[in-house]
Amino acid sequence: MTTASPPEFVKRPTPVRKANRAIDERFGTQAGLRRNLNKVFPDHWSFMIGEIALYSFIVLLLTGIYLTLFFDPSNTEVIYHGSYVPLKGVEMSRAYASTLDISFDTRAGLVFRQIHHWAALIFVASIVVHLFRVFFTGAYRKPREVNWLIGVGLLILAILEGFAGYSLPDDLLSGTGLRIAASIAQSIPIIGTWASFLVFNGEFPGDNFLPRLYVIHILLVPGVLLALIGAHMGILWHQKHTDFPGPGKTEHNVVGHRVFPVFAVKSGGFFMMVFAMLALLGGLAQINPIWLFGPYDPSNVSAASQPDWYIGFLDGSTRLMPPWEFRGLGHTIPAVFWPTAVLPGILFTLLALYPFLEARFTGDTKSYNLLQRPREAPTRTALGAMSISFYLVLWISGGNDVIAKTFSISLNAMTWSGRIGLIIVPPIAYAITKKICLSLQAKDAEVDHHGIETGIIRQLPSGEFVEDHRPKPSPVPDHPQVPNDRFALPSANGHGNGEGKGLARRAGKAVSGFFVEEKETGPGGPSTPVGGGKH
Amino acid sequence: MSDQTGPGTPGPAGSGGGDQPGDSAQERVHYAGYQGEPADKSDQDSMSSIFKRAKHPVDTSGAPVGGSGISAGGPDVPAGTSDGPEALGTPPNQTDSTRDPETTVMRTGDAGVAQPTYGTHARGGGGLTLRPPRAEDVDRRAERRAERLIACWFLISVVGTVGFVITNFVGDKHQAYYTPCLGSALGLAVGGLGIGMILWAKRLMPHEQAVQDRHEFTSPKEEIAVTEAEITAGFADTGLARFPLLRRTLLGAGTVLGGLIVVPLLNLTNSKPGKKLDHTSWVKGSRLVTGDGRLVKLGDISIGGIETVFPAIPVTEADGTTTYKPKTDVHTKADSTTLLIRLPPGLDRPRKGRENWSVEGIVAYSKICSHAGCPVSLYEQQTHHLLCPCHQSVFDVLDGCRAIFGPASRSLPQLAIAADDEGFLYARNGDYDEPVGAAFWERS
Repeated sequence: MTTASPPEFVKRPTPVRKANRAIDERFGTQAGLRRNLNKVFPDHWSFMIGEIALYSFIVLLLTGIYLTLFFDPSNTEVIYHGSYVPLKGVEMSRAYASTLDISFDTRAGLVFRQIHHWAALIFVASIVVHLFRVFFTGAYRKPREVNWLIGVGLLILAILEGFAGYSLPDDLLSGTGLRIAASIAQSIPIIGTWASFLVFNGEFPGDNFLPRLYVIHILLVPGVLLALIGAHMGILWHQKHTDFPGPGKTEHNVVGHRVFPVFAVKSGGFFMMVFAMLALLGGLAQINPIWLFGPYDPSNVSAASQPDWYIGFLDGSTRLMPPWEFRGLGHTIPAVFWPTAVLPGILFTLLALYPFLEARFTGDTKSYNLLQRPREAPTRTALGAMSISFYLVLWISGGNDVIAKTFSISLNAMTWSGRIGLIIVPPIAYAITKKICLSLQAKDAEVDHHGIETGIIRQLPSGEFVEDHRPKPSPVPDHPQVPNDRFALPSANGHGNGEGKGLARRAGKAVSGFFVEEKETGPGGPSTPVGGGKH
Repeated sequence: MSDQTGPGTPGPAGSGGGDQPGDSAQERVHYAGYQGEPADKSDQDSMSSIFKRAKHPVDTSGAPVGGSGISAGGPDVPAGTSDGPEALGTPPNQTDSTRDPETTVMRTGDAGVAQPTYGTHARGGGGLTLRPPRAEDVDRRAERRAERLIACWFLISVVGTVGFVITNFVGDKHQAYYTPCLGSALGLAVGGLGIGMILWAKRLMPHEQAVQDRHEFTSPKEEIAVTEAEITAGFADTGLARFPLLRRTLLGAGTVLGGLIVVPLLNLTNSKPGKKLDHTSWVKGSRLVTGDGRLVKLGDISIGGIETVFPAIPVTEADGTTTYKPKTDVHTKADSTTLLIRLPPGLDRPRKGRENWSVEGIVAYSKICSHAGCPVSLYEQQTHHLLCPCHQSVFDVLDGCRAIFGPASRSLPQLAIAADDEGFLYARNGDYDEPVGAAFWERS
């Protein structure tokens, strides 16, 4: 191939070029534009989890704006006259009444409300899974600790934002959640009572608290979220994405697709897919049917009341907490303080400090751009598994009444197993995970040295028995591959390769081709998987 | 041990190219076909002319037709072997911004495949695996099929959008189909576009392996030295080091101003806590009224029965008679909600000094959980236990509502009740003698 000559400066520009030049005359964009359009992003499925979070956030903004147009965050008591018959004539706050109106008397109101709720659940969930990805691959290591801190901040804010939104409709569940929140605020030593009164504007349920919560939910927290997401993305953009090791990948390069056009189009398509999934969920899967719960009444609560999933671990820790209340010197530190204020404080602090702790204890202060596999850092992986198991015990305990009822177990037994499990499960998870990682490492080393066992035993002329080993296959690219002869379907009448034919098979292959790449098969024809095929 | 089994050297660097297309001359032509040796291609395919333009937005050298600018030509692409990956477009145009040409782009069809090796190249694309050509790369009919498929998804999107609009305006929002239809239509509308876009990128856009250098973030020592020196000089110019009075007053003023944040914080409420948490709406002589406004009389509750009651405050009218005004607003309900339970005779074990706080087995306890303030609403008649549905605290009604399981540590406060001459129950001592609900710092 030859070297290209520089493109000619086009004398008669099209409108797009004209616009480009007009902008360039004012801001001098060309070099920067090219640099950014040519930015390379690596391809790996796990890098798309954070994108899900970003796209859910965009969906949250879009649907949230729609909801603000109809929602009335007012504590004023009104009598409901809307079209939901069972609640006609019931006294309720205008917040609840307007939520009912959104659900029953607003065009596309319910679908957007449900999309909003689903998007909130997915938002927090994808942040958590993204956190796992970053943690277990060591992506937070220097120079990316600041982005880790921002990410932890985003997680906390996302949980707060979700809780605020969950509390706004002023239904029975959200009011009960707020009551618990007020009790938690009240439990803080020294400043607790004041804190609760300042937040709620008086003794719970406070005076005109909902407008306050509304501002927090639609302006304050989203504003900070938006700024932090901008910083998160900006730092990512500047520092370039990490990548897994692989053929041709080094600490000093990025391999993948450039932003323009492939990455941009793929990401745009992925946003649409996330949006579509949320739209389908919002349309087809009912969520938070507040009309069934009824308006908030401090004297009422329904059994098996559950918060949204991301609050579940706090609910669980509160349930497992023994009734240890400090009393003395004329003061009280309530039991609810430890599991709901101290515990998450410790957890999130440890989470935020983890990169620094790891650097301190390993003495590793080098910068890394290549990721690790979980097995390559057994202690970190084991610590992660330990933390997750700790979290899971709490989270499951958050629904221990439902579990106890469903499986006819004693509720006390559930609570006790949660208490004991919280102490013994994490160390077990740690030990097992570390063992697995070390075994996998050993296996990798063995394959590196001796190749892969074939199961073929051979007797040497000397009489010695040896097992044949196959050399380790060369590293494969990290995009999945399937045979690309998928349209050449032989018959299944005993002469083909047994893969069948027909519409369903073709459709299945076409669908699987959407997710994976084609694979060039060797000249010897399609490779049959071991153990597959016909006999 | 295993050296008889395979020709290759076992190990990560050896035995390359098992899956990758070989580098036979045939294959080379095959691949080059995609990249656009036009002569070859038009020989094979007579319907080429219009297609060529659509299909080959880049010419052979990789210089973009649209001027999107591929700054290419990575410095360390192993060009030593003629079979290695050929950089698509070695630097097309060295402008000032390509001082350090940092992106190398390789595409399927440029060349064969580099030997996959794990190595510690300083940088560059050595060992990159290019994807084998797709059906769309070598077969124009496949390409047409892909185009039609993508267009089909885009049309599905249009159908979804139209469906959304029609459902929205024509549909009856009170019907059960309304929301599912809207959601599905919206899903089709955005999902069709999404699937189409992803297929477009995967099937019709050239696969590329772009390699870009990373930059060290650490600045050169000289840069650091100069920056630090300039900041030091600037700081010296401010005189903060030389004028201690200036420095201290500035710090002081800043601290005082920062302390101002307390003011808006405290302004968040006009309702100071004071002793508010210690009191509820119960006053001496209040009758007990149910949620639907009925005053509770003796005999209203059967044995084993339970009733949630609120205070009905006695009001002396102008003519001297006393009426009872039920307080069931949300603030009263938040702390004054009380549970009446009628226990079978002889079971109750009242606390010391509370022997006469119940009437005919009817006891009154605060319904607000002493743990986190939820209403304690589940009563087990057999065991006489109260269960809070929020965190599963269990209270033993027979033993003064002592907390016997779960996170609650305090008993539910008891309200002293009695029955008057007309049989109405009333609060004989007035308010609870301890704060109800969740504990707090000031509580002893």
